[in-house]
Amino acid sequence: MNAKIRMWFEDRIPFNREKTAETTKELLNEPIPKHMKNWFYALGVTPLILFCFMVVTGIMLTFYYIPSPEKAFDSVRYITEEVSMGFWIRGIHRWASNLMVIAIFLHVIRVFFTRGYRKPRELNWILGILMLGATFTLCFTGYSLVNNQLSYWASTVGTNMIKEIPLIGPSVLALLRGGENVTANTLTRFYNLHILIMPALLFVLIGLHMLLVRLHGVAKLEDDDKEETYPFFPEHFYHGLVIMFLLLTLISALTVILPPGLGEPADPTVTPAHIKPEWYFFAVYSLLKFIPLQAGIILIMALVIAATFWPFIDEWIRKKKPNLKTHYVVGSLTIIIFLFFTVYEILVH
Amino acid sequence: MSDNNSLKTQKLIIGLFSILLLVVLIIVAGVEMKLSRKPEVIVDISGDNKRCVTCHTEKGIALKAIDHWKQSLHAQQNISCTDCHTAKKGDFDAFYCPESDFLVAKHPTPKDCAECHAQQVDEFADSKHAHQFWLIKNADRSIFENPISTKHGCEQCHAIGNVWPDQSVGECDACHPKHTFSKAVARQPETCGECHVGPDHPHIEIYLESKHGNIFRSQEKKLDLNFSSKDGKPIPIDIPVCTTCHMDGNETQPMTHNVSARLAWESQAAWSFRTVWMADKLGDWKMKRSRMEDICKSCHSPEFVDSYLLTADLTNLQYNEIRRLMVGWNKKLTEKGIIKRLEKDGKFYSDVLLNGWDEVPEILMYHAWHHEGRRFRHGAEMMGADYTQWHGIWELQHDMVEMFTFAAEHGDPEAKKWVESTDPIKFAPYALYDIPGNAFGINVLSNTVPYVYKAYPDYWDRIKANVEKAYQNNVLTQNQFAFWIKRFENKEHYIGTKYKADSVMKKYTDLDSIDTKAFTKEAVQLELPGKPFWNW
Repeated sequence: MNAKIRMWFEDRIPFNREKTAETTKELLNEPIPKHMKNWFYALGVTPLILFCFMVVTGIMLTFYYIPSPEKAFDSVRYITEEVSMGFWIRGIHRWASNLMVIAIFLHVIRVFFTRGYRKPRELNWILGILMLGATFTLCFTGYSLVNNQLSYWASTVGTNMIKEIPLIGPSVLALLRGGENVTANTLTRFYNLHILIMPALLFVLIGLHMLLVRLHGVAKLEDDDKEETYPFFPEHFYHGLVIMFLLLTLISALTVILPPGLGEPADPTVTPAHIKPEWYFFAVYSLLKFIPLQAGIILIMALVIAATFWPFIDEWIRKKKPNLKTHYVVGSLTIIIFLFFTVYEILVH
Repeated sequence: MSDNNSLKTQKLIIGLFSILLLVVLIIVAGVEMKLSRKPEVIVDISGDNKRCVTCHTEKGIALKAIDHWKQSLHAQQNISCTDCHTAKKGDFDAFYCPESDFLVAKHPTPKDCAECHAQQVDEFADSKHAHQFWLIKNADRSIFENPISTKHGCEQCHAIGNVWPDQSVGECDACHPKHTFSKAVARQPETCGECHVGPDHPHIEIYLESKHGNIFRSQEKKLDLNFSSKDGKPIPIDIPVCTTCHMDGNETQPMTHNVSARLAWESQAAWSFRTVWMADKLGDWKMKRSRMEDICKSCHSPEFVDSYLLTADLTNLQYNEIRRLMVGWNKKLTEKGIIKRLEKDGKFYSDVLLNGWDEVPEILMYHAWHHEGRRFRHGAEMMGADYTQWHGIWELQHDMVEMFTFAAEHGDPEAKKWVESTDPIKFAPYALYDIPGNAFGINVLSNTVPYVYKAYPDYWDRIKANVEKAYQNNVLTQNQFAFWIKRFENKEHYIGTKYKADSVMKKYTDLDSIDTKAFTKEAVQLELPGKPFWNW
């Protein structure tokens, strides 16, 4: 009987079982360099796990969320206060987004200081930068969807910055806002970006990122080409699983201790005394307070371009001065400046 | 060797920065998440205010006042100590702060509030909240109450209409407590209930008894009463609090601090009369009523509003007839010398129309106005059925019975005749108002119960004549009279006699007779074997 059913399916889904089994085995036995046994080297999978949490909780949130200016805030309030376990689902979504940003930072630091981006993996670094951009866009649009005073005004000010991008700024702004101001059109566009376009983009980017990792193999440590390896399954796979459960516990605890609030409903007629973005934008926000907006935008764009093409810049510097450890200096300075402005913003509030 | 060093450096840098970022950013995210739970209150304390706050904090003086101010919208908008407590030399409340050279105003008055909130202060001053009637009229009551009792008694509530030495009127913090000056607290029904409570005007109890109050209580935790209703927007809460009907705006009515702007009856007065208060600014009572109706119709159908309010209006008119009886008998008993007015040096201290504290009919007359008479009317206006019924008409009728009994005992022949009469109609020794049916629906057969409906075939014609007279007297509008006539002409429908529900009624009649049998057997016919201890 079993054989009959199996045959029935095999006739209709004609794939080569032996070959598939072989490929699966090959995938599972992917050789992993020994240094990866250190838990720090599982940080690449952490953002992925958090992203999966957000996909699941995000789908649940769409059951109740209504993307209209009149109802958005109230639907979030309803999710938080009335829907059974709604506060938990929303809390996980919100905290996972916070932790995802932190996890990405840690992953970037690890790759950066080990120069994991060096030839031939430059393209994967660029994919990573694109993913970071997609993540920030998801964070920004997600925050706006709550439609409370802070998020409404943060999205107004945030999108205002786009206007300052040379040449394309005003058109991109109009496209994002769907008009002159932040209105119902903006909310539905942000909603689309948040639940459809950006997640789809991120899925594709993650796929490409992982594909390149598999094609290249995991980067070995610099100056250690003879390193031993071990198979991906089961040990490294279990690392991921353990991290997943740890994260779920951590996020649930954070949600219970520090659940996300609701704030005041958005009121386009009343500008709050102080407008501020989410904390991961504090550094940029703080920087823009000290220099003119347009100069700031150009500076940020220059930094983004430099970050994107850093593997090539690093290589070029190395060729000129082989002994200079530029990436140590650049990386350390970036982190220190970022942390300084982030903490400064919290303290001045 | 160099390879090893490089690897070690990498591990060290990555480890250090990872831990630093992880710790700092999780704390940052946590702080931000915590902030997201409360409205962002950012208070900038600088200049002179910083000196006030620092010194008060160090010395521990009025710390909570500072904390409350920090929660206020004032604090967020940089309106600080010196903005309200500013004083000029010679001001009635100016004093030098003992720790500095600041001249401080002890009592910020409505004049100070009007610096920014002029409209609200003006509206308030034109309202009956600001009317110190107790200083102008009716001071006789102060002979009954000794002064110390009034300090924390009547004066405390009536301070809402304080007349300040700077000529301004009112006490804004009666509703907007200092120093948060919260809108939400001002809207909380218990704020109105600080004064609108108790036997003489139990408005908070009436409200909480009503459907409005009941739904408010069930939804209270979800309600945010901290909103502005100035902008002609729909009412943002699903159930009304006191201010929703009396002050807040909706799409058609502007928000007002004049609580008299929507009131069509002086139903706290000894006689119910249509409001003439500030008619030049607020218009006549019909205008005021139409404002209230505009608010009612945010939630209710016009038909319901018309029938509910007309019934309440007729209740107010009915009260006047009971009042007429109580006053008439007090006058008569005074003229006959059965009761006496308080008098010294040719001046009377107990105005027969209002006061009198030492003799039964006077006390009954006072209560029939000031306590039960108000409850009767206000219950009808605000959906507090129990206050119109048991705390209202039931006690009014008792006052009347007691007054007749007193008069009969003191030899009045008419009262004696009333007391000795066995005619059930004796309880209506005054003219009646009525309306066919009620605001809520049609209840088959229920309106066959009143004795007068059955015993007096001309009942509705008598009522019609009275309602028509009220209309001619301009205390009912043309539309109201037309509405009444419409019901009168189709009264069998409205009072439910047109409809038959015999089988339904039989079910309940049968059940009732089972009840009767049960208590007859269990209680009425029970004879205990042990004898009583007192022999009759």
